[in-house]
Amino acid sequence: MFNKMSCPALDEPGFHACCQLLLQQSEQLGDGWSWLELGGGPGEEGSEVGYLKKTVLRSVAVDSNPVQTQEASGSETEQTSILQPEAQDTGEPASLNADDLNDYIKDEDAVCTAVDINSQVLQYEYHILYSCSYSTPVLYFRAFTMEGRSLTLQEVWSSIHPNYRLCLQNSPLTTITQQEHPLLGQPFFMLHPCKTEEFMRPLLQASHDQPRPVNYVLSWLSVVGPVVGLDIPLKYCTLLHPASSLSSAEPD
Amino acid sequence: MASDTSEASSSTADVKLQFAPFSSALEAGFWHQLTQKKLNDYRLDESPKCIKGYYYNGDPVGLPTRLTLEFSAFDVDGPTPARCCPAVGTLYNTNTLDAFKTTDKKALLEKEAKEIWDAIQSGAALKDPSILCRFILLTFADLKKYHFYYWFCFPALCFPEGIKMVKQPSVLEQVFSAKEIAALQEAYDGLCTKQGTTAVPYFLIKYAGEGVQMAPLREWETFFTHAEKVTVGVYDPCTLSQHPGWPLRNLLILLANQWGSKVDTMEVVCFRDRTLQGSRSIQHSVTFQVKLPELPNNSVCPKSVGWEKNPKGAMGPRMVNLSECMDPKRLAESSVDLNLKLMRWRLVPSLDLDKVVSTKCLLLGAGTLGCNVARTLMGWGVRHITFVDNAKISYSNPVRQPLYEFEDCLGGGKSKAIAAVDRLSKIFPGVNAEGYNMSIPMPGHPVNFSQATLSQAQRDVEQLEKLISEHDVVFLLMDTRESRWLPTVIAASKRKLVVNAALGFDTFVVMRHGLKKPPVSQNVSAEADSSTSCSSASSSSSTPAGSAPSVPGSSLFSNIPGHKLGCYFCNDVVAPGDSTRDRTLDQQCTVSRPGLAMIAGALAVELMVSILQHSEGGYAVASSSDDRMNEPPTSLGLVPHQIRGFLSRFDNVLPASLAFDKCTACSPIVLDHYEREGFNFLSKVFNSSHSFLEDLTGLTLLHQETQAAEIWDMSDDESI
Ligand SMILES: [Zn+2]
Repeated sequence: MFNKMSCPALDEPGFHACCQLLLQQSEQLGDGWSWLELGGGPGEEGSEVGYLKKTVLRSVAVDSNPVQTQEASGSETEQTSILQPEAQDTGEPASLNADDLNDYIKDEDAVCTAVDINSQVLQYEYHILYSCSYSTPVLYFRAFTMEGRSLTLQEVWSSIHPNYRLCLQNSPLTTITQQEHPLLGQPFFMLHPCKTEEFMRPLLQASHDQPRPVNYVLSWLSVVGPVVGLDIPLKYCTLLHPASSLSSAEPD
Repeated sequence: MASDTSEASSSTADVKLQFAPFSSALEAGFWHQLTQKKLNDYRLDESPKCIKGYYYNGDPVGLPTRLTLEFSAFDVDGPTPARCCPAVGTLYNTNTLDAFKTTDKKALLEKEAKEIWDAIQSGAALKDPSILCRFILLTFADLKKYHFYYWFCFPALCFPEGIKMVKQPSVLEQVFSAKEIAALQEAYDGLCTKQGTTAVPYFLIKYAGEGVQMAPLREWETFFTHAEKVTVGVYDPCTLSQHPGWPLRNLLILLANQWGSKVDTMEVVCFRDRTLQGSRSIQHSVTFQVKLPELPNNSVCPKSVGWEKNPKGAMGPRMVNLSECMDPKRLAESSVDLNLKLMRWRLVPSLDLDKVVSTKCLLLGAGTLGCNVARTLMGWGVRHITFVDNAKISYSNPVRQPLYEFEDCLGGGKSKAIAAVDRLSKIFPGVNAEGYNMSIPMPGHPVNFSQATLSQAQRDVEQLEKLISEHDVVFLLMDTRESRWLPTVIAASKRKLVVNAALGFDTFVVMRHGLKKPPVSQNVSAEADSSTSCSSASSSSSTPAGSAPSVPGSSLFSNIPGHKLGCYFCNDVVAPGDSTRDRTLDQQCTVSRPGLAMIAGALAVELMVSILQHSEGGYAVASSSDDRMNEPPTSLGLVPHQIRGFLSRFDNVLPASLAFDKCTACSPIVLDHYEREGFNFLSKVFNSSHSFLEDLTGLTLLHQETQAAEIWDMSDDESI
């Protein structure tokens, strides 16, 4: 996959191989990673432009969660109430013509009210892409509400557990930047890869000194993932070790 | 097995089955894709569209029962995520908010319910039970504001009297042995393999000893023989232990319709299948023993429900404002901010960005320097930029003035101040830019030809005074020296920070003017020997803005505090206004080396930023070239008084010089006259020859006393 002797760079075929390995393990562990390919034009077949994706849902307590409250301080005050703009537009109550629906529906008996108004579910989407300019994997992520509204970086920070927040502030990876997703063209946050080689080098050196199979993408992910709240089950490692068939990742 | 134990406790209270409704879950990609479809595909077409969502039965406890729509929702034939069940829906995207509101929701629901009912009656639902789990999505996309209004409906056909449970629900592991659970899981996986999928929404279950058999719904007749207790399995997205999820509702209707006469009580296994940290479990699945009600009329579609409540718990639509992530203008703003923050996080943690971003900058001159200063300010995230210039764009300008293009020169040329504002807004819509097409009155350029010209000059002065008051930093970027005089006087009087940039052919000066102490402490700085300036490096090359002899290696003038620093005119021994005598290259700006304006413009902004980062701002002690070895006074480094650049040598020096008590612009006597007499004094300066200011400040006297001035002029001549 790559030559650890000279430099810990990762080429694109190596990246794909690592991803395939990670996918197999994720499949076994039910960890939820999937490989998505961009539906390229007919001429682009086999170009293998794709990325690993995982979606994680987290329930966040509303009172400790600034996703709603913070908006009032910004210019987007209207977001604090979901239907306020509409009420402003027309002066009508926001429920539209739902009243006649209510009359029609006498279904409350058959419905359980399970919705917990004290918590809010947030969706985190993690993408792993290959960066040709840095010859490393790059982690893109975004988080959004159940309505599909992306969280601002400030909100993402606030929704991250305080422990992680601290570790994020002190980590050499505090280089989160907003970037357009190179394949989707949508705004994402990105952990900038400029430090990747720096922390991958000792990691790979260690594995070289004490030969064992290494999946570059997995090792890298285990470092950068937790920074943005993405946990990598330890079982990946136990899966990796007995698998002697994966020796392609080993030197010589 | 479970079916046996149910008989014993049939006395359990008359509890009705309550279902956990779906919560809609939309990924950001869905709205992006809807926007694209609306813009490129649907346009004004309001006809219903087929879309696809999915639901999952592997969520950890605590998450709501979701029906998820993502980016791929419009690709109905595309793959469904592994171990998820697809749900097909109908999208009604209206063109107006009004249409969204007035759409007959009841009719939409009944139409969809009827289709489900027809599929049940025809047997189509038996063959493909995924028809049972459908949804409606009513949307209105306000693509001007990026507001999306939406309302989901998950149609469920109802039994008028509800469904009675004959026994409390049980979690699988309470009623089944580990072996039986393993058998159930194995049977389910076998069914998936047989059907070539990774999830089966509805299925039949039969227990045989410790073994379990499963079959698709359509095999009911052959699967269950007459005497058996019936068990059905439903792929259940709910995580509550007392309630089944929504998908069971229409299945029970189907069963009642097809086999209601044969089945009395039955068992439902709400199949939940999750993997945590690599280990899979289904033992938290729930079984319900229910009495299958009869449908009052097997040929009439039952009543239906299903419109989703909004987050407040009321029947109503939802709205999501995505301007933050979809409006390109907002995106540009947040990206610019983020880029700057990145600089702080990574390189200069103590950088006070807000101070920079919130600074209001007045750019006097929108030529080569003005354009470059504006662009660098934008790079720093400065939002408030005002231009003053009276020139029009000429054909020679665009190649050197990066805010203009060829088109701007046509028809006599647009006003620079106005065109510059337009361009800034195009580069970054978040900028708050204004342009004033006006002239700045100058000494020695009479304004008293008529009453009209005089009052025009008065208005110009008032406008300039107002603008300087309203801004934090004044940039002097004009191409004549004398036009810098009036703003220098006004800004000195108003204690505004002035950054001045002037160009020669291959030399430039970028400097901050000394910032006088607040008026209360009227300490006239009367340095006896301030007629000389201190330059930490001797310069032999021509320098703009007149030249004073440098004092090589002098330490006398090191550590000059900001309030004692000189202005652009302090180094002069002649008053502005006499262009023929003026040896500076100001007026020949356009013959400077093309890179010079970019260098000087950029340095002017960087100097401003460094000043702003200093705790004392404009009062900061001037750094000199010697300080390059010392601990810098700010996180960004030095805060010099002047940067003099010599492009021929690719060299910069950082001289500092004291304010000159006979300065024609910032000396106490000039400021005093301006503050007391206002326009009267100014008009005298405009209308008189340069000797007026020289007489006033005592420069004339100085000339008479000192012959050296001649020598300075000669040295100037030589170097030009
Ligand atoms: Zn001065």
